[in-house]
Amino acid sequence: MDPLFLGLLVAVTTILVLFSGVSVAIGLLIVSAGFLLAFDGSRSLELMPEIFFGKLDNFALLSIPMFIIMGASIASTRAGADLYEALERWLTRIPGGLVVSNLGACALFAAMSGSSPATCAAIGKMGIPEMRKRGYPDGVAAGSIAAGGTLGILIPPSVTMIVYGIATETSIGRLFLAGVIPGLMLMGLFMAWSLYSTWRSGNASVLSAGSYSWKQRFEILPRVLPFLAIILGVLYAMYGGVATPSETAAVGALLCLLIAMIIYKLWSLAALWVVLRDSTKESVMILFIIAAAGVFSYMLSSLFITQAIAEWIGTLDVNRWVLMAAINGFLLIAGFFLPPVAVILMAAPILLPIIVAANFDPVWFAVVLTINMEIGLISPPVGLNLYVINGIAPDISLKTILTGSLPYVACMVFAIFLLCLFPDLATWLPDTVMGAPK
Amino acid sequence: TELRLSHQWSNGDVRHKVAQMVADDVAAADVDLDIKIFPSQSLLKAREQYKPLSRGLLDMTVLPLSYAGGQQPAYNLTLMPGLVKNHDHAARLNESPFMDAIEGIMAEDDVMVLVHGYLAGGFAGKEKCITKPDDMPGLQTRAAGKAFEQMLAGAGASIASMSSSEIYNAMQSGVLDAANTSSSSFVSYRIYEQVSCYTPAGEYALWFMYQPLLMNKSTFEGLNEDQQKALLSASEKAQAFYLEEAKKEDAASAQVFRDNDVEIAAMTEADFEAWRALAKETSYKAFVEETPNGQELLDLALSVN
Amino acid sequence: MAGHSTAAVAYAGNNPFLRGVAAISTVAGWCSAAMIVIAVAITCQMIFVRFVLNASTVWQTEAVIYLVITATLVGLPYVQRLRGHVNVDLFPLSLGPRARYFLACLTLSTSSLIVAVMLYYGFEYWHFAWARGWTSDTVWGVRLWIPYLSIPVGFGLLLLQLVADLFAVLTGLEKPFGLEDA
Ligand code: NA
Ligand code: NA
Repeated sequence: MDPLFLGLLVAVTTILVLFSGVSVAIGLLIVSAGFLLAFDGSRSLELMPEIFFGKLDNFALLSIPMFIIMGASIASTRAGADLYEALERWLTRIPGGLVVSNLGACALFAAMSGSSPATCAAIGKMGIPEMRKRGYPDGVAAGSIAAGGTLGILIPPSVTMIVYGIATETSIGRLFLAGVIPGLMLMGLFMAWSLYSTWRSGNASVLSAGSYSWKQRFEILPRVLPFLAIILGVLYAMYGGVATPSETAAVGALLCLLIAMIIYKLWSLAALWVVLRDSTKESVMILFIIAAAGVFSYMLSSLFITQAIAEWIGTLDVNRWVLMAAINGFLLIAGFFLPPVAVILMAAPILLPIIVAANFDPVWFAVVLTINMEIGLISPPVGLNLYVINGIAPDISLKTILTGSLPYVACMVFAIFLLCLFPDLATWLPDTVMGAPK
Repeated sequence: TELRLSHQWSNGDVRHKVAQMVADDVAAADVDLDIKIFPSQSLLKAREQYKPLSRGLLDMTVLPLSYAGGQQPAYNLTLMPGLVKNHDHAARLNESPFMDAIEGIMAEDDVMVLVHGYLAGGFAGKEKCITKPDDMPGLQTRAAGKAFEQMLAGAGASIASMSSSEIYNAMQSGVLDAANTSSSSFVSYRIYEQVSCYTPAGEYALWFMYQPLLMNKSTFEGLNEDQQKALLSASEKAQAFYLEEAKKEDAASAQVFRDNDVEIAAMTEADFEAWRALAKETSYKAFVEETPNGQELLDLALSVN
Repeated sequence: MAGHSTAAVAYAGNNPFLRGVAAISTVAGWCSAAMIVIAVAITCQMIFVRFVLNASTVWQTEAVIYLVITATLVGLPYVQRLRGHVNVDLFPLSLGPRARYFLACLTLSTSSLIVAVMLYYGFEYWHFAWARGWTSDTVWGVRLWIPYLSIPVGFGLLLLQLVADLFAVLTGLEKPFGLEDA
């Protein structure tokens, strides 16, 4: 059978199987086994456990549970509240200042957590009730946190960047740096929209109520210091020759656990167990998908589908920006349905040769890819952040959260445009810190 | 008939060219034999090729045999410091009773050799040149292969294990002071941007790694006579090419480092003997202890002139 | 629209079989979490040994890799019990109660089947490593049957939890896909 046609068959089957409600990782195993059995002979199944295990046999994957623990341990304390309260005391005069401080807190928290849902949960637990109490519409309160949470995978550390780095053999240190400026830019766009929508709604004066003395403002700063210390400590370990990025994650996890225990008195075993349980749950879920996606990509390669698609796209004579637009469209749609890790693992090996051939920088592309994945995180049917918000504020309907986060999706699309116009936004920092690309 | 060949290198690498040559020649022989190559670990990861090969789930691979040293400890002899002096010596080893013994062990795993070949490598230092054991104390070093780790640790280096693709970043951030790997890896990972001195494989070289083109034996025996003949004659031609290219690679890597203003150092005969004396106390000793018939195999290898 | 609900946990109730499986999965989850914590500790120890003591690190990298793999595999049943494996329930949502029931039975039995396949060949792979005395090709030379054991154990426990989930749906103790009737 023609590999391209076979590829189409695999795509359709995969979509049908995944929509059936089976868990994503097991669905990928089912599709892989089915096609291997049908087109690759009866003995091909024997290799599946070996490939599954082999995909996980990679030191860099260690950093996934580590960066998740960092976020989860801090999220279990009132650190998120401290962060945004500090920001709020400084930003209170601005109409819509509370949304802005929540978004700022999301960005700061993102610098300590590798995962978006964790970022969402940490800031949202305090931020959403507070915003609603002060008269912000439900949609704005929920939407801004859902969107702010997505910064978790753009601002380093980032689990998706690690997975991309492993799948494409790109330097993880470089990828992390590439996310910094776009992450801050996205935060700025989110804030700008929030300010504008508050101003437009007409009750700006109400929403900027409350003021703090300078004493109160400086009083709260010490409570933010531990986090700045963690962020700086991790950055120093990563870029200062102490450890590789994957190893740094362990230091970060340990620091965050210690700070949670010492400063926030997270002593009880029950509380610690909640942190570990949540981190274990998210890590195992992601690592299971990574391993199953490994089996899936073995199937694609073994049936020559990956190679045929890459070859086929190579023969298409299209403008590189048309190609980029098509790739973005594809990623966006895939991101609606699948968790980021699954999209990256299935798409990166096929897309990367095309990207490189069309003269795009793989590090730059990682940022574009990540923003696409972020959009998927706040869109149905699989929008992890939406469910987190739903868990925090069950009385806000999913529809309200969704409409509330829609303007932020527009901000992300705009950010992708800006990145296409000015690729330096992503590449300047890594190139400056780590030298010209390899 | 379709055969699947998996390897870890990119299309520009000599080891891919060897595989491609065999595939092309077999196709040209028109014996209904088609070799499909999966380069750059696109099918299986580098270290996960030998087990499927021995179980007949993969037909062919180009593989550093020492990767399978965990399954057959004898294979560790194919990446042993000071055992091979230069490429011509390597070619003589390939035809020796030593290689017959190694091939006997492969046969136990249902594996056979189509193309023999050794590639060499050297050392690179971030701050200083590395030519002799006395240069090593205190350096955080990445070594290619177990036997080299044992020897360098014996010289007083601190060993940090990582894959060759991580050397660049580890050197840049200062985690690593020195590295030992193959000439082609030094170039393809652009290590010359991070080091001040390079010691390539030259008149005296320490690091030789046996990287043959392997095939599952039962699969080979299942082919008809014409197909077998075509494969064997294509392999013979490829082996000659492999040897010539292997010789060129060391000088080419040195030139790349020189062009990037990296100091080039050379190992003297005295340096080589010092390394070898150290290896005898460390890696050779460990090898003999953990390998059935280890001493016998080592003597066989050392007896080749 | 469920997908990844944070609250739901597999139903156990008073059914002794379901409770037994739930207990096993929970213990597996504790083991998994413990291994992740040990991996953190070992990595920190490795950085200390290398950066502060400037000494060799021989076994740490490998130990950490195998711990994380084992944590993943052994954690599978627990995460299944917590409904933490993300899914897309587009079809179940658009179906009536009866069709949804049959789809749930179908997905759970197919899942059990593929996990049983992984268990079978995983056991075989483990047995190979054990019988032939395979080790890793490093100075530390781990006997590979030890980490490989996590494959049959992890998939075996996951199979048990999936069978329990199927049982709960079949006996009506749990709603298909955990969805409330539309
Ligand atoms: Na982050
Ligand atoms: Na989505």
